[in-house]
Amino acid sequence: MKTVALMLGLFVLGQEPQAPLGPLVNGMDFSGSWQPARYQDSGLGTAAGALVDYGGISLNDASRLYALSWPASRQTVKQQQCMGYVPPYFWYAPGNYRIWEDRDPFTQRLVAIKFYGQIAQGERTVYMDGRPHPPAYAPHTFTGFSTGKYDGNILTVTTTHLKRGWVRANGVAQSDEATVTEHYVRHEDIITIFGVTNDPVFLSEPFTKTSIMLRQPKDPDGWLYACDDSEQILGRKNDYVPSHFFGQNPSVQEYANKNKVPLLGALGGAETMSPDFLAKVSEAAGADAASRAKLLPSGSQQASRAKDPTPNDGEIHVLHVAGNVYMLTGDGANIAVQTGPQGAFLVDTGAGKLSDKVIDAVRKLSAKPIQFIVNTSFHPDHIGGNAKLQASGADPSLTGSFFSNQFTDAGQGATIIGHQNVQTRMEKQNPPAAAPPSDTYFEDRRRKYHNGEPVEIFPLQNAITDGDSIVHFRKSDVIATGDIFTTTQYPFIDVKNGGSLQGEIQALNFILDRTVYVHDEDGGTMIIPGHGRVTDEWEVAEYRDMLVIIRDRVQAMIKSGATLEQVKAARPTADYDVRFGATTGPWTTDMFVEAVYQSLTGLTGLTPKK
Amino acid sequence: MTGYWVSVVTEDWRWRMFPNKGDYAGVPLNPEGRRVADGWDPGKDQAAGEECKAYGTPGIMRIPGRFHITWQDDQTLKIEADAGTQTRLLHFGNLQNQGEGWQGASKAEWQILPTGGRGNAVASQPGSLKVVTTKMKAGYLRRNGVPYSANAMLTEYYDVVTEANGDTYLVLTSKLEDPTYLTEPMVTAAHFKKQAGAAGWKPSPCVAR
Repeated sequence: MKTVALMLGLFVLGQEPQAPLGPLVNGMDFSGSWQPARYQDSGLGTAAGALVDYGGISLNDASRLYALSWPASRQTVKQQQCMGYVPPYFWYAPGNYRIWEDRDPFTQRLVAIKFYGQIAQGERTVYMDGRPHPPAYAPHTFTGFSTGKYDGNILTVTTTHLKRGWVRANGVAQSDEATVTEHYVRHEDIITIFGVTNDPVFLSEPFTKTSIMLRQPKDPDGWLYACDDSEQILGRKNDYVPSHFFGQNPSVQEYANKNKVPLLGALGGAETMSPDFLAKVSEAAGADAASRAKLLPSGSQQASRAKDPTPNDGEIHVLHVAGNVYMLTGDGANIAVQTGPQGAFLVDTGAGKLSDKVIDAVRKLSAKPIQFIVNTSFHPDHIGGNAKLQASGADPSLTGSFFSNQFTDAGQGATIIGHQNVQTRMEKQNPPAAAPPSDTYFEDRRRKYHNGEPVEIFPLQNAITDGDSIVHFRKSDVIATGDIFTTTQYPFIDVKNGGSLQGEIQALNFILDRTVYVHDEDGGTMIIPGHGRVTDEWEVAEYRDMLVIIRDRVQAMIKSGATLEQVKAARPTADYDVRFGATTGPWTTDMFVEAVYQSLTGLTGLTPKK
Repeated sequence: MTGYWVSVVTEDWRWRMFPNKGDYAGVPLNPEGRRVADGWDPGKDQAAGEECKAYGTPGIMRIPGRFHITWQDDQTLKIEADAGTQTRLLHFGNLQNQGEGWQGASKAEWQILPTGGRGNAVASQPGSLKVVTTKMKAGYLRRNGVPYSANAMLTEYYDVVTEANGDTYLVLTSKLEDPTYLTEPMVTAAHFKKQAGAAGWKPSPCVAR
């Protein structure tokens, strides 16, 4: 009786139970074929937009430096050729658009509204059924994860989990930390989309902008966008990424001069969105000085404004990545777990603070004990759980084998695999680290066919340390990279233990040589980073590009005789610090710049790779 | 909708902030429209006492500035613009001898989203404010002499949205039809952020250039 009364109460309040039917929503119908109106912002659509035309964009200083270092030739880099479009930029492309509803076939309730854009073949799903957004450590895409609700005649869409994309395709970037709210309202055959972008990394305040879609009376024929990246310049090395050094963009004045716009306005910023800006530029000398100051890094060093996607709540969180592979996060470095009919195959064991919970999580995924563990590094956040996780497992491939007669402990516990230098450095610690790899290698790949798929272990030396490895689960198509790639900080190049910037760049390129996307830099080979969220190749390429650009800046300063202190003072990472930098903690921006400098000057004890 | 609003100039930034003669990109002008735009002479407008040609209804809402919206009476919504010190009156009742100035005659109505078809459980929902303006003196769409004619008709839709952080925006969608100078209807949008008060409100005279 109480249940009945409660249900009646809910209905009286108009709150229908959401499961299993989902909420009853209806509102303005946006279905149909649409095309963007080109009456406003002429020339700013798709890959257009003049260089150094940033007026009316609330970009911050770091974002401006990022844009000023971007030459159009950056698009010749393979991974940049077919990048997708993030909202709200999604609606600026010139192609055809379709909107339709996805309704449950049995209840006819609105599950989702779908948007499809011809350019980059972007398909967006706006869930209307009340489901939550994924956790922070889940992958991002160019179209993100969207949920919607109606408010009167307005559809409001909230989008998270976006990749780094464009605010304007002339170098003004929208970071992967951005969230976008869009309000859709339809008037006759016009849809007005009002987008509000909040980006703590690259915007000083929300960027608001409208776009207009017009209904097409006839469904058009063209819906596809064939983009396949390829080599654009023969003989170019894969560690070449075009960029302008700070203060050396040759196009700075071009747009401003051509259109009689003050440079201070063309350089953008929140102030340029205000009517009061007109008064500010009326004093020409002051405006010119202010604009010149914006071309170089200034102010204090910035720390990352990105949130750490790792929960750090004392629990182990599990995310299915692809095929048979899962990511466990919450205890230091990420842990990859492959499951199947054989024992579980792990990459890294975390910091060891939550090992019992890691073992419990693996047991929920795999009916069989842990059989293999690969250590991608000897760093303690990757090997801290070795002893407990090894002890919880077993390697039945050894028990009863020819070798078992020679080793009393054969098959007891999981087999730990790693580069010889991981074993060596763990054993040399005082006291020696527990449970070092017993199955080691030097230069050649190790391979296993395990749990129904090929597994390759590649040593990639002299990146983070001299003992780095990555693991590629080939059928699931997931690569666990260790700290060669993270989404949370600059690479922890451990120069004292054999790490180097050039080795790091080479390692990232090695990873990129093994990845394939599904479409326009989305999906395909998935990446479990050493720290941070799951990605695909796009973020790896962006990370590689960043390191190449920073390398080139520091290298140029070294060639001109700059000391380490002079390099630091020039802030060669100023445009990336807001995403990856740190001013405190175990790996600061200064430490990273030191590692770069040491790598490039040969002060590492290693010979820099040519 | 009532209160003070400030333009957020992110659309058509170049053309709204720093318009130049002959820069009519995006405007679907016909040859006659281009001829008039190319012949723009602000000195001539000044001499003729027509400094306000860019401050008429099709242009005023895109000129960077602040707007004060109040109810003049039960049937009339008033929009004051500090740029050019212009006043628009949106009439909800029948139009009677209004019009023929820069701001023409504006008829307003609330658009209510209907309940829909049979079995619909959701009541009528609030919609937009629709305003249709005719009888305007010929003027400029932009402050660079891009023309509209006295035959033009402007249809506007006003919508208000509020963000999670409390920021409130007025979103204006405009459709200008002008058989004299345009080859097709021109649809644009602009938006305004709500201000707590009159900060920045600076009525200023029309400027021909």
